[in-house]
Amino acid sequence: MAENYTNFGIGPVAYPLKMVSQEVVEHMLGWNIPEEHQDLVHEHWRNFPAVSKYWHYCLALIYTMLMVTSLTGNGIVIWIFGTSKSLRSASNMFVINLAVFDVMMMLEMPLLIMNSFHQRMLGYQLGCDIYAILGSLSGIGGAITNAVIAFDRYKTISCPLDGRINKIQAALLIAFTWFWALPFTILPAAKIWGKFVPEGFLTTCSFDYFTDDQDTKVFVACIFVWSYCIPMALICYFYSQLFGAVRLHERMLQEQAKKMNVKSLASNKEDASRSVEIRIAKVAFTIFFLFVCGWTPYAFVAMTGAFGDRSMLTPVATMIPAVCCKIVSCIDPWVYAINHPRYRAELQKRIPWLGVREADPDTASTTTSVATNQTSSQADA
Amino acid sequence: MSSKMLDYLSLAFVVAVKVFKKTTPNGKITVYLGKRDFIDHIDYCDPVDGVVVVDTEYLKGRKVYSQLVTTYRFGREEDEVMGVKFSKEMVIGQEQVVPLINAKMELTPVQEKLLKKLGPNAYPFTFNFPEMAPSSVTLQPSEEDQGKPMGVDYCVRTYVAENEDQKSHKRSSVTLAIKKLQHAPTSRGRRLPSSLVSKGFTFSNGKINLEVTLDREIYYHGEKLAANIIVSNNSRKSVRNIRCMVVQHVEITMINSQFSRHVASLESREGCPVTPGASLSKTFYLVPLARSNKDIRGVALDGHLKEDDVNLASSTLVAEGKCPADAIGIVVSYSVRVKLNCGTLGGELVTDVPFKLLHPAEGTVERQRFNAMKKMQSIERHRYENSLYTNEEEDNIVFEDFARLRMNEPE
Repeated sequence: MAENYTNFGIGPVAYPLKMVSQEVVEHMLGWNIPEEHQDLVHEHWRNFPAVSKYWHYCLALIYTMLMVTSLTGNGIVIWIFGTSKSLRSASNMFVINLAVFDVMMMLEMPLLIMNSFHQRMLGYQLGCDIYAILGSLSGIGGAITNAVIAFDRYKTISCPLDGRINKIQAALLIAFTWFWALPFTILPAAKIWGKFVPEGFLTTCSFDYFTDDQDTKVFVACIFVWSYCIPMALICYFYSQLFGAVRLHERMLQEQAKKMNVKSLASNKEDASRSVEIRIAKVAFTIFFLFVCGWTPYAFVAMTGAFGDRSMLTPVATMIPAVCCKIVSCIDPWVYAINHPRYRAELQKRIPWLGVREADPDTASTTTSVATNQTSSQADA
Repeated sequence: MSSKMLDYLSLAFVVAVKVFKKTTPNGKITVYLGKRDFIDHIDYCDPVDGVVVVDTEYLKGRKVYSQLVTTYRFGREEDEVMGVKFSKEMVIGQEQVVPLINAKMELTPVQEKLLKKLGPNAYPFTFNFPEMAPSSVTLQPSEEDQGKPMGVDYCVRTYVAENEDQKSHKRSSVTLAIKKLQHAPTSRGRRLPSSLVSKGFTFSNGKINLEVTLDREIYYHGEKLAANIIVSNNSRKSVRNIRCMVVQHVEITMINSQFSRHVASLESREGCPVTPGASLSKTFYLVPLARSNKDIRGVALDGHLKEDDVNLASSTLVAEGKCPADAIGIVVSYSVRVKLNCGTLGGELVTDVPFKLLHPAEGTVERQRFNAMKKMQSIERHRYENSLYTNEEEDNIVFEDFARLRMNEPE
């Protein structure tokens, strides 16, 4: 039966090869897609031999691991931020939103795992659309949520008094992230502008960047600006502003300390102040770096497909970006939550065996170590 | 010793010195302070004078240090993300108390009295506030704010350590929260602050003139403030209503930001509309009080240690010859703002008249009146407290345990 199916499934392109060798059948990519769905596969992929089933299993294994990580990380974030009272603030709504997007991206993974075992897209066009909708909604939404988090942090840190975003504004911003993700999800899904097609191993789906017409090229250029350039520019802008604000505050505090005769034990104080700035820079850079790691490969592949040398885009090469952005979606919750003292305290309280050691944030405080000439002047008096 | 304290205690019919004390969790070291409010008289500031009583056997060669610490908190604790801390602690005075380094140090009367009473294990310490040190101010938190309130506060921290740089342990250290406050100068000044403004209109001739005069330059907390308003309308618009409010301006110098809060306001249509050609003279009475602003977030209060003595933050005074812009910490100022509503098209005519809000200076008649008022409020409490300390009243010293006053204060 399986043999029959295989024979039935051979497309017109695969036939010549089969005639060459009866024993070792070397199929081309897309051979197992039935005739009526052949239009799903772009000509480009047919130039490559079919990917071995071990590649498929390997990818399925990677995705299984990522799925578990993502479920744990994002699940804990949604659980703890959603249920603990001390974490119910406007800023944390964004972290939850990001986790929701990441979970949505995680939902792609079981689909891929099933596809990998069948070595084709299950459900053809419908399956492809569902897969790609999940991917584009969560990808674009996650990117812009990163930018919104950067904005929120910039607001809270640069004006700690009343800069904080209130819950209504936060809800509006969250709605904004969803609306930001919608156009490039609905338009291709409805085939109004662009379309969703299988890519790489033909077990995953994304927007079409191969069709050689003006429409597709403009679409790729737009999605590149919309979901990559704009969020990245915003992230860079807000974190650099935030860094500037922190430096300004530090400098003003030091000036005030000087006015009160607080003479520093130079090395200590220098270290203390520098570490605040370095800490901020580290966190900001990590977030920026993650964004770059997650989305540059995708941007590169899409832009190359539309405007560059397509021969570079082998099936394996085009699977790398998909894996990259999924890895980032697994790391996100840890990055955003791990430098949140109250989250860590809560985590420690609820899952003590995790070994998170966090001092109670209420008792921690920073000290500028100093000496003064007050005591000696008193002695002289 | 302040006369305030004398007034305070004569009430209990015992001429006694009231002293505050607090002991480390392990009970080995006790710190005594003569008062909790230290007054900045602009030209000089009360020194922080205290005495430490220590169990010398417990020390085993270690030393006792005392620090005068100021903490700036300029943002909510729950907003601290990315490792940013919205608070800064500065040690503005440090002294080795045991063993005593400077045996010839000048003692204040309270210290002398305490040393005499507490015996050979008592050691004095004194801190002077740096000249520029800001006043204690607390910004009123809102209902949902968690953690310590924002503001500037002071404390005296005493701990046991091998040397100055060694970290202290909770069980052998003790922190007493204190306040640094400013009082009004002895004379209130005769100048009456006033402001005269006028407003013209784009499409019609003539102006509306507004003159606002206050009956004093310096008001004491709880006093009624009278703003005399004269409106003369030479324009073709009419004044619909008048709003008069007391505005508290708060400048947080450490993050270079400022905001203002209306701490008392009054709106009137009496005598309105002031039609073209007419004029109106009217006096508004306002009393800016902390207790009528309990639910407004960010209202600056004199750093408060106990619930019952909350009042609005005093105006920040700057020594003569110093620029107000040089003041640090949280700078508070007040003004009366009058707004004339000239209709939807006419817009508003607004003017601000600055004034100062302070506690009366020590020794003035007003001070005595003020103290008497306060006494009435707390007479029952003190009777009760004194009854608790009867066994310690010998030598005319009353000891009051330093309550754990601040929220979440580390044990």
